[in-house]
Amino acid sequence: MDHSSLAGRIFRGIALALVLVFFMFPIVWILLMSFQTNEQILRIPPRILFEPTLANYEALISGQLRTAAGNLQIEFMRNLMNSFVLSSASVILALLLGVPAAYAFARFKFRLGETIAFTLLSFRFAPPLLVLLPLSLYYQQLGLNDTYFGIVWVYQLIALPLILWIVRGYFEDISPDIEHAYRLAGHSWREAFTRIAVPLAGPGIAAAGLLSFIFCWNNFVFALILASADKQPVTVGALAFVTASGIQYGQIAAAIVLSVTPTLLLALYAQRYLVEGLSLGAVKG
Amino acid sequence: MARLELKSVGKSFGAVSCARDVSLAVEPGEIVAVFGPSGSGKTVLLRMIAGMFEPDAGDILVGGRSIVDAPPEQRGIGMAFQNFALFPHMSARDNIASGLRASGAADIAAKVAAMSRLLKIEHVLGHRPRELSNGQKQRTALARALIGNPEVLLLDDPLRNVDAKLRYEMRLELPSLLRRSSAAVLYVTQDYREAMAIADRIAVLINGRLVQVARPEEIYARPASVAVARLFGDPSINLSEVAPIAEQGRLTAVVAGTPIRLDADHLPTDTRERCWLGVRPDDVVVTRQGGEGTIPARIVAITPLHERAVVLLRFADGGEWLAALLPEALDAGADEDVFVRFAPEAALLFDHATGERIGVSPRRQAA
Amino acid sequence: MSMAQLVETEAAPRRTKRWRGRLLPYLLSLPALLVCIAILVPFVTAAVYSLQRYRLNLPYLRGFIGVDNYIDFLSDPAFWNTLKISLVYTAVTVIAELLLGLGIALLLRRPTRFHNAVSIMLLLPLMTAPAIAALMWKLMTNPSFGILSYLVGLLGVHDFKWASDPSTALFTVVLVDVWVYTPFIMILLLAGLRSLPRQPFEAAALDGVPASFVFFRITLPMLAPYIITASLFRLLDSIQQFDIVYAMTQGGPGDRLMVFQVQAYLEFFQYTNVGRSAALLMILWLITNILSNIFIKNWLRLRARAHGHA
Repeated sequence: MDHSSLAGRIFRGIALALVLVFFMFPIVWILLMSFQTNEQILRIPPRILFEPTLANYEALISGQLRTAAGNLQIEFMRNLMNSFVLSSASVILALLLGVPAAYAFARFKFRLGETIAFTLLSFRFAPPLLVLLPLSLYYQQLGLNDTYFGIVWVYQLIALPLILWIVRGYFEDISPDIEHAYRLAGHSWREAFTRIAVPLAGPGIAAAGLLSFIFCWNNFVFALILASADKQPVTVGALAFVTASGIQYGQIAAAIVLSVTPTLLLALYAQRYLVEGLSLGAVKG
Repeated sequence: MARLELKSVGKSFGAVSCARDVSLAVEPGEIVAVFGPSGSGKTVLLRMIAGMFEPDAGDILVGGRSIVDAPPEQRGIGMAFQNFALFPHMSARDNIASGLRASGAADIAAKVAAMSRLLKIEHVLGHRPRELSNGQKQRTALARALIGNPEVLLLDDPLRNVDAKLRYEMRLELPSLLRRSSAAVLYVTQDYREAMAIADRIAVLINGRLVQVARPEEIYARPASVAVARLFGDPSINLSEVAPIAEQGRLTAVVAGTPIRLDADHLPTDTRERCWLGVRPDDVVVTRQGGEGTIPARIVAITPLHERAVVLLRFADGGEWLAALLPEALDAGADEDVFVRFAPEAALLFDHATGERIGVSPRRQAA
Repeated sequence: MSMAQLVETEAAPRRTKRWRGRLLPYLLSLPALLVCIAILVPFVTAAVYSLQRYRLNLPYLRGFIGVDNYIDFLSDPAFWNTLKISLVYTAVTVIAELLLGLGIALLLRRPTRFHNAVSIMLLLPLMTAPAIAALMWKLMTNPSFGILSYLVGLLGVHDFKWASDPSTALFTVVLVDVWVYTPFIMILLLAGLRSLPRQPFEAAALDGVPASFVFFRITLPMLAPYIITASLFRLLDSIQQFDIVYAMTQGGPGDRLMVFQVQAYLEFFQYTNVGRSAALLMILWLITNILSNIFIKNWLRLRARAHGHA
């Protein structure tokens, strides 16, 4: 394969460098901004070298933002906490609901199972507002609007198809005879499920769980419609924050950094499984 | 120990019928091989006994009790799978011990040690399945099936996925190993030699139907039908269409233009319009001497097979037979004209329409 | 006890046991079924709304009006604008991301440690929340201090207004979309490229076949299922893009970026016209449903291959 000429290799090197700059620069630049004061940010021309400050993060953590109009109380940390609560609860619920269902779909061929699996899959690609807008009216009637439970429930639309289809693939890859052998050794189907099927599908369950967490965390539109300020996750909170804090750009950058750090760390940790997860198990990395 | 009994078991998947009216009893300590071509329903039969499929009809009894409604874990069955089906995340030791632990047995370590010594896998007990060779996997799977002293032992083509040398060794070892357990053993195989080497009786399954259940040598010598005769023997049985005529209580058939006397106790004595005459290649004698009861033929080709020479013979009417001979018993080469004969005792006659063997079975003769 | 009674008492537990065994898969999938129903009920509701005159601020006027909401769209320039913008946005982003993603995948094809490190780094934009990514680019394209505004200034382009100028707004939002989603196509195609059998390439190399021929006649056709699946994935997401557009411009400037879901959102919350909003979303659903049917067929084929039961 690799009989490339010197010119070819130089071309590839330059192309890769450009790719890296385009995709990495925004992350690096925002990270740098988050350690700068507003004066440093507004300086023209911008400088790479500056004296870093933690003031932006301190302001965010204390919830006291200095703005031109005086001190402003914004509980960005609460948004961060909401994101943790909503995403974790959604993933735990989706795993509890989804793993047994994925097992049923993989092991028993029954029509209702296929119908459910494909309905969830096709709604993964339907416009979310189509479901969300009528749901918001129902939620108002049911009193579920602006509750953690209500939001966690709609997050199942994100997490459940992912978990169902990825974990189902892993269950299908386990020979049913292994479970049969375990049952003949004197174990109930429940024991075969928890001690054979679940451990063997472990990597898939972990991957699906991590990926669902990331997608729930990154979701914007669900909470935009269903949550008010004190239940909002960071994605919606950050937008509100931009409006509220006005020109405190360093603090905005710090808020962005805090919002994306958890998912980026998880993504790096789970990168082995991401290919499979992103394609819902259609491509193995 | 208990007897395994299948009573008119039936099973179909959609339009495909996998078991039709299958009745079979296996005594404790007996090894019955279920033998048949692939797709004949052998594995489905085992899986119904193990509780992975539910029979549509009939009943399955162990020690006189019906087990069809019991879940697999309560059936007292040990099973070895074709693909081994070891628990990949457990060591060989834990694989073997899993059943004992589930039943809360005592002296688990000692039992595992004894079983693994018997199967010569003590040195790999700490290994995970993926670190084992196929032979070791297969022995681990057998140990796992045997260790709980099950009343019924099911072996689903356990030698299919091991290499030829090991398969040969295991064929010698298995019968004594299985008999130690005094379980009722059903052994599925696609290899008639394996069935004959291991089993006390062979149950021949074709298209979901049991067509013959008998001792190995009986099935070989007196197959119930053309289909069974074809399945046993390599090279497979020679078949010629004949119309035997009874003369003075003796049957004569014209084979390739030569009248041959078919005078043996197991053969019928009345005239038939159309029959298949079957003679196993092992029973065909090739000589240079002609004479009464010999059929002239020409040697078309000679191939070695299992230390024997397989000779392809062509008769004047174009019909072809195979003869399997010891090489030293053959004193002719390819393209030479020879004579073929066979003892009447070796001849089998089958009904042309139904394929069933005509004549008297040895057991009825004795009676 | 008579024979008949004996049979009765034995048969009864037998039937219940079997019945329970058959029920198991349904019990296991019951929660998933509930979620399904929780999706389908609002979906049907939306379909019903789309046939109604339904304004939240004028509840007394609510009533069934058949397909009037849809017919109104035919003569409504705002609808045609939405359709046009959505299609243009989708076409531009998918084509750009596909070409760029394929190019990068080819660059990273050999699994060296450096290439793997690069491909992992490229996951980071994809794992950034799109709404947050839009904010990042907003900071970088700020006219007064944004680094990108400064850089284009160095190139002699002054007063480049990025998302706030109608003529460059689409370009800016597409740029963010490309930044976030190109890695998606890249990693799928990279996995596809690396899973291709080697023999055809080795044979071509031995025969001295030119690289362009290898690419167009061997690589591309073999990669086709991956390309189709990745593009359809993106096509389906892109035509529904909401987060980036909303966070960046809320559909503006003017109606320059009024894509379907943003328009529907504003119809609902700003103009409180539930009927129109629902009709708009039903049209979008129709488009995505056709696409997703094609998609699912392709995806199932790839999935069967990945799990070795093709």
